[in-house]
Amino acid sequence: MHRLIRVAMALGSGLLICGEVAAQGAACPVKIGGVLPLTGSMAPITKKIAQAAELAIEHVNQGGGVKGCPVQFVLRDDQGQPTVGVDAAKYLVEVERVPAFTGTISSGITGPIISSVTAPSKVVQITCCSTASPFTLDGRSAGYFFRTIPTSKTQAYATASETTKRGLKKTAVIYVNTDFGTDMLRFYKAALAKLGGEIAVEVPYNDNQPSYRAEVSKALAAKPESLLLIGFPKDAVTIVREWLSLGGPRAIALNNSMRTMDFVNGVGAKFVEDFFGMDNAQVAGPHVDAFNKSFEEKFKADSKGPGVHTQYDALMVMALAMNIAKDLTGPSIKDAVRLVHVPNGAPVGTGPGEFKKALELIKAGKPIKYFGATGPIEFDANGDVTGPALVWKVKDGQIVTDRTITIEEMQALFRRIEN
Amino acid sequence: MIGQAIADGILTGAIIALGAIGVSFTLQIMRFANFAHSELLTWGAYLALVFVAFAGPGTPTGPLSFGWQLIAAALFAAAMTGLVAWGVDHFVFRSLRRRGAHPLTMVFAAFGAALVMRNVVVLFWGHGSHFYTRELQMTVELLPGVRMLPDQIFILALAVAVVVCLHLFLTYSRTGIAMRAMAESSSLAQVCGIEVDAVVRWTWILSGALAALAGVFAGLTPQLHPEVGFNLLLALFAAAILGGTGSLAGAVVGGLIVGLAENLSLLFVSAGYKTAMPFLVLLAVLLLRPQGLFGEKQ
Amino acid sequence: MLTGVFSYLVFFCCIVLVLGILTLGLNLQWGFTGLFNAGIVGFYAIGAYTHAILTAAPQPQYLGNLGLPWIVGIAAAMAATALAAWVIGLLTIRLRGDYLAIATFGIAVSIQLVALNWEPLTGGSQGLSRIPKPLSGVFDTPLSFNLWFLCLLAVLVAAIYFALERILRSPWGRVLKAIREDETAAVALGKSARRFRLEAFVLGSTLMGLAGALYVSFIGFVSPFDFLPILTFQVWAMLIAGGSGNNRGALLGALVVWAIWSASGVAVTKLVPPSHAAQGAAVQVILIGLLLIFVLLYRPHGLLGEAAVVSRHAAD
Repeated sequence: MHRLIRVAMALGSGLLICGEVAAQGAACPVKIGGVLPLTGSMAPITKKIAQAAELAIEHVNQGGGVKGCPVQFVLRDDQGQPTVGVDAAKYLVEVERVPAFTGTISSGITGPIISSVTAPSKVVQITCCSTASPFTLDGRSAGYFFRTIPTSKTQAYATASETTKRGLKKTAVIYVNTDFGTDMLRFYKAALAKLGGEIAVEVPYNDNQPSYRAEVSKALAAKPESLLLIGFPKDAVTIVREWLSLGGPRAIALNNSMRTMDFVNGVGAKFVEDFFGMDNAQVAGPHVDAFNKSFEEKFKADSKGPGVHTQYDALMVMALAMNIAKDLTGPSIKDAVRLVHVPNGAPVGTGPGEFKKALELIKAGKPIKYFGATGPIEFDANGDVTGPALVWKVKDGQIVTDRTITIEEMQALFRRIEN
Repeated sequence: MIGQAIADGILTGAIIALGAIGVSFTLQIMRFANFAHSELLTWGAYLALVFVAFAGPGTPTGPLSFGWQLIAAALFAAAMTGLVAWGVDHFVFRSLRRRGAHPLTMVFAAFGAALVMRNVVVLFWGHGSHFYTRELQMTVELLPGVRMLPDQIFILALAVAVVVCLHLFLTYSRTGIAMRAMAESSSLAQVCGIEVDAVVRWTWILSGALAALAGVFAGLTPQLHPEVGFNLLLALFAAAILGGTGSLAGAVVGGLIVGLAENLSLLFVSAGYKTAMPFLVLLAVLLLRPQGLFGEKQ
Repeated sequence: MLTGVFSYLVFFCCIVLVLGILTLGLNLQWGFTGLFNAGIVGFYAIGAYTHAILTAAPQPQYLGNLGLPWIVGIAAAMAATALAAWVIGLLTIRLRGDYLAIATFGIAVSIQLVALNWEPLTGGSQGLSRIPKPLSGVFDTPLSFNLWFLCLLAVLVAAIYFALERILRSPWGRVLKAIREDETAAVALGKSARRFRLEAFVLGSTLMGLAGALYVSFIGFVSPFDFLPILTFQVWAMLIAGGSGNNRGALLGALVVWAIWSASGVAVTKLVPPSHAAQGAAVQVILIGLLLIFVLLYRPHGLLGEAAVVSRHAAD
């Protein structure tokens, strides 16, 4: 038995050392790490996100790679468990020596990664999907953490602006009891306080329950005239159906995760016509279209879905920054991230051709301005992006955009709410 | 508000009760905590879906959102799931029992079986949701402030009918009496000449059938996905134990109490604590009666 | 630069030792006392949150975050967990096997929900951050800090191991064994089975609380997401794989199971291209499950089997 243990340990160390030696053999390939929930409760949405990541790496390599070397993407599963995610991130940083990595989705896993790997080891981490605001706002990441998705603040403020614009009164708020839901609710309340508007009742819900009649009944007991539902499609379908069948008012506002045909079909397209929802807007334009087209061509699937565009951008930004940086150390890459979008830079977009163009500009020492699959990517002092928002609704069984809230309008809104 | 909570509690409780009966009897007769039981609910629901895929849910009959075809689907699913339950026991658990496996091994084996059963469903139907019918019913007001869907009233009536039939079976049929005898005392029952294998077989078939019905009812209100059984697993065990294992009345009362606890608790505490309520009630009951409400004292 | 591999292994071993403390605690409860505790994660959470609440940097919106020294946090975590275990034990110790499992499971779920909902104290779903790492001012690089923490954990684990071995060979330990092997006889001799079980339960749970406090002071962040039932399952797997009733087995089990969990993730990245990463990951989960079932079927007593505990006085 002890022999077996010794053999196993030898094998294990061998695996690790092989990885290490291979990494040390030459400067090429340059590795970029990834930590995503490939299994676990988030798995259904991660599939497309991982595909977007793969597409980004392919474009980067076709466009010239990083510092003349091809890029190798090393993707680990966090299984939805913080300890596994932390172990995976540490492995990527120490054994695979990745200069930067992307990840992850759940803030319960992103949080410990930042405090035990990213900040101490000074490695750049860009997430496509983790929206918990404190990560960038309280200084814990020492500037090494970025995200290509706006925090819930943007969406919450935009939602508040829209609900007050439509004159929604006495709103019941049913929200998923996670950091995402509580964050959205907090900012929504803060915004309503300045914009006017009234919350009738707040009812949290824990996910994965077979029925939400109790929560819906509690909300209806406050006699609301409208509903703001913050959550994810599967449980949202149950909640909305139960709300409607119990006679709840049809003035329903939704958050971005509901912007999918899964939700529309689940409730029934004909019942959804009075609803509206918010999302971070993907500025329409040739670069967004180019991305959608290459995604659909490669994977034969619709590119709409949470995290898809932001993941692509996270990796493109990372690769551009690694090329701009004078070397592949953490601090250099960190400083280079904001140079990916300089006001007077030459516009570069998505796709291998544009990436090649960007590399030539970088080589010539000229500034660039990256327009990604989510529009212009500009990081603020905290590592967050802001962006325009849009209002969507369902018409004739299709999800359509009702109106867009431009960046200028968003900025004005922020100023009004935060004084 | 309280009337609605009670009505909702009874509805949820009825579904949990049907599932808990099987858990209760396997716990008592085979001393086996079958954590794969929840997957029998899922399988039952999906087997009914298969039937519906061929026959259709039927045009809505009266105020209901489905026709007789869904009833037929439920019966079909019940029969099939009974066989599945017996099959899983025959090929997996029985061999472990014969080898005198440690109870912990059985628990882990049940976990393993549950994982396989759940992922087979995912393999065929994917992670997404399915629906028996696309209708969106409106609730009717039974009493002031108490609303229920016609579907739910029907389910409740059906659940009551099933329980009554089961009670008659357990009281008057040979097999039923044998099951109750084994539940009370396995060794004594064998001394009296009761055929253990037959009882075990019937226990599994009935567990599976009841679980299938619970699964169909859960899937009807309002959607069906691979975790539908798993999400109820702990409520089922809480109900079975708090009612006292081996007792039909116990499982039914246990189910109702769990359902009511969940729904009534929202009148006092935040909905964020709802999922803990079945356990807190269970703890309270076990403190006063460690064998459960209708259980036999050890 | 093999320092990368070394640095990772140091980190890895820190996690293993924390999990090892959890497994030692469970071993005392199950291996030596026969208590089916399915609520491991609840006691882990109490220790973790107590430590976090007492030591995290103050923030205006939180009641706790008292910024107290690390050692105070550790001591308080153990005390809080001991107290909670005593209360929970009083309520549940009488229950038979699987009932105890469901009861403790339910308690762990409730504790996690309190952590999730009681925002002013626990930070709610956001969790608590900036939990100070002990002596991080002195050991300010990741490698030096992890190495120092590893030494600290190694010393602690060794101390706990030897203390447990001593306790189990003491008169108290002998009574515990007697109760497990033949309760009627032990009770006939005037031993209160309930009292001994309760003491073992409290002691085991206190170790779990200690593990929780150590974990959060290593990572620097805590959230309700750290305390989901999967961890209870993992610790049980560690104990069974290593050999319940054997403290060395418990530690070995922690190493082996966590190594399998981690290495299978590495293997997936080496053998499967990223485009198939999702399927590879699913296969990893299935393999882990199969491996555990394999161990259960062919080595039901775990890798090391139950240790023969012989009294110190046997040679007399």
